[in-house]
Amino acid sequence: MATLNLRGLKKSFGDFEVLSGVNLVVEDQELVAVLGASGSGKSTLLRLIAGFEKPTAGTIELAGDEISSVNKVLVPEKRNIGIVPQDAALFPHLSVSQNIGFGLAGWSSKAKAARVTELLEIVELQEFADSSPDKLSGGQAQRVALARALAPRPAIVLMDEPFSALDAELRTRLRLDVKAILQKEGATAILVTHDQEEALSLADRVAVLRSGQIVQVGSPTEIYNSPVDIGIATFLGDSVLIDGEVKNGKVVTLLGALNPLNKVTEGQVGRVAIRGENFYLLPNPKGEGEVVGQVFFGHDAVVEVVTKGIKIRARSNGPFAPEVGMRVSVWVRGSVNFYPG
Amino acid sequence: MRKPPALIVVFGVSAALLAVLPIGYLVLRLFEGLDKALAELLRPRTLELLGNTILLVAAVSISALVLGFAQAWFTTRSNVKFASVFAVLAALPLAIPSYVMALGYISLFPTFSGFFASWLVLTLATSPYVFLGVTAALVRIDTASEEVARTLGLGRFQVLRRITWPQVRPAATAAVLLVALYVLSEFGAIALLRYDTFTRAIYNAYRGSFDRTSAAALALVLLAITLIVIWFERRYRGGYLANTKALGKRVRVDLGSWSWVAMAGLTLAALVSVGVPIFSLLVWSLQGSASLDLAMLLDALWGSVRLALISGLVIGVFATAVALWAVRYRTRLGVFVETVSWATHALPAVVVGLALVFFGANITPWIYQTTWMLVIAYMILFLPNALAAISTPIAQVPKDLEDVSQSLGVPANRTLFKVVLPIAFPGIIAGVGLVALTVLKELPATLLLRPTETNTLATRLWGATEDLAYSQAAPYALLLVIIAGLPALALNSQARKALSEVRG
Repeated sequence: MATLNLRGLKKSFGDFEVLSGVNLVVEDQELVAVLGASGSGKSTLLRLIAGFEKPTAGTIELAGDEISSVNKVLVPEKRNIGIVPQDAALFPHLSVSQNIGFGLAGWSSKAKAARVTELLEIVELQEFADSSPDKLSGGQAQRVALARALAPRPAIVLMDEPFSALDAELRTRLRLDVKAILQKEGATAILVTHDQEEALSLADRVAVLRSGQIVQVGSPTEIYNSPVDIGIATFLGDSVLIDGEVKNGKVVTLLGALNPLNKVTEGQVGRVAIRGENFYLLPNPKGEGEVVGQVFFGHDAVVEVVTKGIKIRARSNGPFAPEVGMRVSVWVRGSVNFYPG
Repeated sequence: MRKPPALIVVFGVSAALLAVLPIGYLVLRLFEGLDKALAELLRPRTLELLGNTILLVAAVSISALVLGFAQAWFTTRSNVKFASVFAVLAALPLAIPSYVMALGYISLFPTFSGFFASWLVLTLATSPYVFLGVTAALVRIDTASEEVARTLGLGRFQVLRRITWPQVRPAATAAVLLVALYVLSEFGAIALLRYDTFTRAIYNAYRGSFDRTSAAALALVLLAITLIVIWFERRYRGGYLANTKALGKRVRVDLGSWSWVAMAGLTLAALVSVGVPIFSLLVWSLQGSASLDLAMLLDALWGSVRLALISGLVIGVFATAVALWAVRYRTRLGVFVETVSWATHALPAVVVGLALVFFGANITPWIYQTTWMLVIAYMILFLPNALAAISTPIAQVPKDLEDVSQSLGVPANRTLFKVVLPIAFPGIIAGVGLVALTVLKELPATLLLRPTETNTLATRLWGATEDLAYSQAAPYALLLVIIAGLPALALNSQARKALSEVRG
């Protein structure tokens, strides 16, 4: 049985419709990332699920019970849903242990202490048990916030951009920690983020939210390899769009006849989305492309090439990236997605 | 550690001495005549005064907390309409001296007197302190922590009690202690509304007999109570985690149809605290406008302004010296002098005035009953306020600038005058202005110490009320609100900050 089921969820503030019919199912013990640009309605979606906002239309079911509808919204404290806010929002007047044990009202003091200890171990912060939250670093605070949310064994945990306030290195490490913690707890979770790398690397499934609607749901590889439209294709990684026409089952473009990944109809006109890593650059004094720019990242580089009047951005191995002014031949490796229209 | 210039040392040490000597002398004199003083104190009357005072302090503290907290919560945390207008209205009573507010009420309702009247007027006059303190704390709480608490099983009121209140409590406690000190020192409103507390009894004892032992003995009891509250106030003042943080993210609670109830309550509070007294004073002023003695009014205005300017400048110079010494030199003596200068913070003006009467009459008869005696009284009362206002701009001048100046060949002491003071000047002037405006409103010490030929707006107002001539007092009261109260509120940095944060 699905843990969480959103049906036709809509939310407007005044005349402004933030969510316009969201459908989403989250299975037990699954981690679903809701990926969307800022302003796409991600945070509103979480607030609806947590019970802080009332939907304008649609329903929310948790473990088979309807918890939100236009007529009735179960109060947040009765929902059995944990939340991890963007900047942890630990209770500043309570110690780390008290923060974690906050939601365990009604537990015997022995059970409560055991649960707090267990979580302190899971998030590896035993030595901070009696510390005040202001002694914690950003990453530690975020782990305590997660432990606090998990402590009462909620049906689902909602995480709102939990890594955005941290620096890049810490973010990568904490992502792995969070995934491990959620797995150890066997928890079901929704992660809301604008960071595609975060969504792809962490989630079991990714739901792409755009202008208040979920436009695609799938495993990270599905989402990345087969975006259902051009918008998602460009949102997920650097894509170059090139005009093409379907002839003999291939898409004919200025860069050659390319193999389509998706189903195409003979004679269709449209565009292909080519990712940076699909380009292959071969230094060639007689090549048609000219390198006009290069951004070096160390492990790889993005090389900007103008060829046949089209500007492309290719990913290339860092140490061997062609330099500005060099002439190159441009190849497209692998198959590409074709979008008619 | 550098040595401060001699000028700073001279001014600084004098400021500290002036602050503590008169009070010290009062205590000393009482101990000399200890038997007599004890006899004065061991009367049922003292116990009655003690009971009255404590009852009023406790009642006002509680009601000001409730009112100020409610105003702060509704304007910053709920979706009540016109929140920023209501916030300004909640702070506005700060512009009305409490005796002016009392005058507004008693001139409208002549039987309005006693405990209830004093309690109401002082609650209205002091709730802005709670409102401002609690607002500053509330806007620094991230409402996300309250939402987390909801998901962890707390209802709305439990969140208020277990999450919001603990984070606001330090600020609220500090504000309530400030309110308690205010009520302990309050003289004008309580005397007008005829409720017997220490301040009124001290003043009457002083006025009513040639023997001043009784007044002095009562003053000492009040001093002792005040010192106890001050001790608590110092413990709770300032730094707490919620107050040091940046503004929190705020989600306002949707009141639904209760919004109207909240608006009605906030409007009622504004009406009784500002509307009624100002309306009353306007009506009386218009009624008495035909018989208004303009020459007398202008004379009192000049008397007030003159005193305020002289005291503002004198206190400004002393406070600047102490602040420079303590902040930019930080020698042990400098810090000690600063601490001593703070010692008179929140002492009742009646006590300070009485101490100076004793000191002046016995030790320094050559300035007794001159303007300088009054200036010294204001200095004792307001040096701490001036220090608080002036230390900040002086501390904010970057130390690097001094180093640069010296490396360019300007000696340390000249750097002070060429770099530090010019940069801090606007802030120092604002501090001087604030002190001058406070002096304008001061009543009890002025009554006790003014030279007989000196009249101020406050003393004229007082004289008229003693004759129950409310229509004569009203224009003086209005003028005080306009030239002292409103500008002081506009210069009040805490109020400005809180009001700008309400909108956020």
